[in-house]
Amino acid sequence: MTAGPAYDLNDLLLNPPYSIPNDEKNQLLLPIVRTQLTGAIKNNHHLANLFSKLDLSPDDIRRLEDVPAIPVQMFKYFDLKTCSEDRIEKVLRSSGTTTGVTSRVPLSKNTIINQIKALKSILKDHLGGRRRIFLVIDHEGINDPTLEFSARTAGVRGLSIYAKKIFYLMREENGELVLNLPIIEEVLSQYQDEEVYVFGFTYIVWSTFYKQIQEKNIRFTFKDVKVFHSGGWKKLKAEQVSKEYFSDEIAGVFGTERENILDFYGMAEQTGIIFVDCECGNKHVPNFAQVIIRDPYTLKPCSHNEVGMIEVLSVLSDSYYSQAILTEDLGYTIGIDDCPCGRKGVYFRFQSRIEKVEVRGCGDTFRE
Amino acid sequence: MITCHLLNGEFSKEEFDDFTPIVDVINQNRRALQEMPFDAVIDLLVKLGRKIIQNPEINTLQGVSYISLWLRRKNLEQIGKTNYGDCRYLDTFVPVDNHVALSAQPRGVVCQWVATNVPTLAFFSLAQAILSKNGSIAKVPEENSAFILALLKELSTISTSSNGVTYHGRDIVRAISLVSFEGRNPEISRMFSLIADCKVIYGGSEAIRSILALPQKDHCETIVFGPKYSFSVFDRAYIESERFEKALENSVKDIAVFNQMACSSPQVLFFEKSRYSLEEIGSKMKGYFEQLPPLLRHQDTDSAILANTINMRSRFLLSDHQNIIVPDDLGWTILMDTTTRLEDPIHGKCIFIKEIESVNNVFDLITRKIQAVTVCIGDEEKRCSFAREATYRGVDRIVVPGATHDYDQPWDGILPLSRLVRWVILKSES
Repeated sequence: MTAGPAYDLNDLLLNPPYSIPNDEKNQLLLPIVRTQLTGAIKNNHHLANLFSKLDLSPDDIRRLEDVPAIPVQMFKYFDLKTCSEDRIEKVLRSSGTTTGVTSRVPLSKNTIINQIKALKSILKDHLGGRRRIFLVIDHEGINDPTLEFSARTAGVRGLSIYAKKIFYLMREENGELVLNLPIIEEVLSQYQDEEVYVFGFTYIVWSTFYKQIQEKNIRFTFKDVKVFHSGGWKKLKAEQVSKEYFSDEIAGVFGTERENILDFYGMAEQTGIIFVDCECGNKHVPNFAQVIIRDPYTLKPCSHNEVGMIEVLSVLSDSYYSQAILTEDLGYTIGIDDCPCGRKGVYFRFQSRIEKVEVRGCGDTFRE
Repeated sequence: MITCHLLNGEFSKEEFDDFTPIVDVINQNRRALQEMPFDAVIDLLVKLGRKIIQNPEINTLQGVSYISLWLRRKNLEQIGKTNYGDCRYLDTFVPVDNHVALSAQPRGVVCQWVATNVPTLAFFSLAQAILSKNGSIAKVPEENSAFILALLKELSTISTSSNGVTYHGRDIVRAISLVSFEGRNPEISRMFSLIADCKVIYGGSEAIRSILALPQKDHCETIVFGPKYSFSVFDRAYIESERFEKALENSVKDIAVFNQMACSSPQVLFFEKSRYSLEEIGSKMKGYFEQLPPLLRHQDTDSAILANTINMRSRFLLSDHQNIIVPDDLGWTILMDTTTRLEDPIHGKCIFIKEIESVNNVFDLITRKIQAVTVCIGDEEKRCSFAREATYRGVDRIVVPGATHDYDQPWDGILPLSRLVRWVILKSES
């Protein structure tokens, strides 16, 4: 198939998310990206600076890998809005855990709708499209709209799309997370025969929920359960907890199989796209996005199994520069179109965040 | 657990729970070094310099050719003279007055915390302890230990004769131990600090502060080579002179050596307004970056530094009044703007170049953390006057392009050898 009017963004969102072979998808995404970039340059002088200094026009872009990638940190320093101010519905602010400076991601109504459609499409692939009981392994306060947007809140809000009822399994007590026992008892007594899905921040699932559940010897036995979790692997690896061990133990808590414990990778700056583990443990790229792994030194795309920086391209946004965002995460592709799970497109694995090393030399700063 | 890579002249790995057996050996062996004439010590080091450059297994290692040059007799004698005034103090009492004679005795065991950033650093640190006739226990980064062990192995095979007595390099080596241990282990760090008669510390702020907080012997001398920052400044006359191209070429080499990880590495280059625009100067530098030998052009760079470089490049591309000149890879980066300020180092050959109205504008940027300023001012009187003001404000070294990393004395405002000895006097009755 060649680029043309056969598909537009809506078509991409309506189709099953992993249905288009990679080459074909690249051809479909390219004209959409070009059009979006043209608008972006028109509406944002920073982006105009970027393209001008690179002596690049969107029309010159022949491959997705040639779209200039903006490092995710730039959302902390620049307004990367790509539409007029009056179209901005809300500004998503991610937590500034490392630098103290928060990212600003401006969202238009259209972008929000696209992101919701995208997330629905991805979750439908794993949940079958039926509304379920949603259990959150966190406290209800995390969803407070007055608080800063974090990976935890993004997960809870995003995944609640298929919730017919939400239960928070933890509560906050003197700044500590503890089991929300009355809620857990309610779930155990009334919803054991239901179809359920669960979300928690990986480290919280392990360090607080799992440990306390073990102490209380609590076990769930739902009719059908999928457990989504994300983030915090660095701390788990420091505790020498492997992904397999984690999945087996959490599967034991929920009375299910390892395959139903689904790690996913995502970022606030690309809301709407989460990369969920398939049955084979691979993360798949949906139709409306692309992932390129880049060599950190040459910035060229890596070969399969070669570890590099993860770049996420997306066509979901018309309100900020989502078209190519370079993360500070490391990962590697495994293959294209041929995962035994049957999903098309690039599939990859997350490895780690880039470690912020202390410069151990003597020339660290000029400040006294 | 303490891993000892060298003890009593034996180059083999051994594990220890504490430093007592190591310090006992060093204390016993340092006597032979103390009794060695200073000339013989220099002679052995000079021979080492000649030998390592002839050894094909060593001479290809980065830094060996510089060490070989540094070990020239003239240089070593000059270092001795600069630090001690008279090198005879190291061997005997020298009369300084009718009834007073002066001598320099080694402090004893020098414990050295050597930073990772410059692979040759451990050698220069040990050389200072040798030239002050001290025993050494050096905590050397694992990644650099093979390099320093190779040099010391060479030293252990050298001998020299003076007045019918033969002196052996192995006696110097026997007064040295190389150790590695987990720096964050408070108990081992505490033990290491407590055995020192003198502590020599290299590193960033965090490392320096934690080591200084350790308990130590009451008499222990502490020499700190802490975090420092370096930059360059060019005046208009110099930029428009014939010397400019060569200075730029050498500046690029200064940036490339040690991948900008040393305290002497320039991080910002300031150029007075001249007939060349900043873009033209950047283009000239680009040419010299491209001409770097492959070993300097493509150095191992930590992925966090690469990520910082990518971020900084993007900040300059997105902003209104900044620009960049870069190759296809992250081998080097030129970031251009006109704000007169120092920038946090990115490292990995990522240089900020800035246009300024006057070289005098940089004075307000100088703090006691500025180590080297490469000053390219054509008029010697003006250069000297600039240097007086800059050093008053805190700069330790005013240098020329291509020589910013030359390990000369004093360093960081310190004459280390004179502090590595105890100055002792002998008074007589008449």
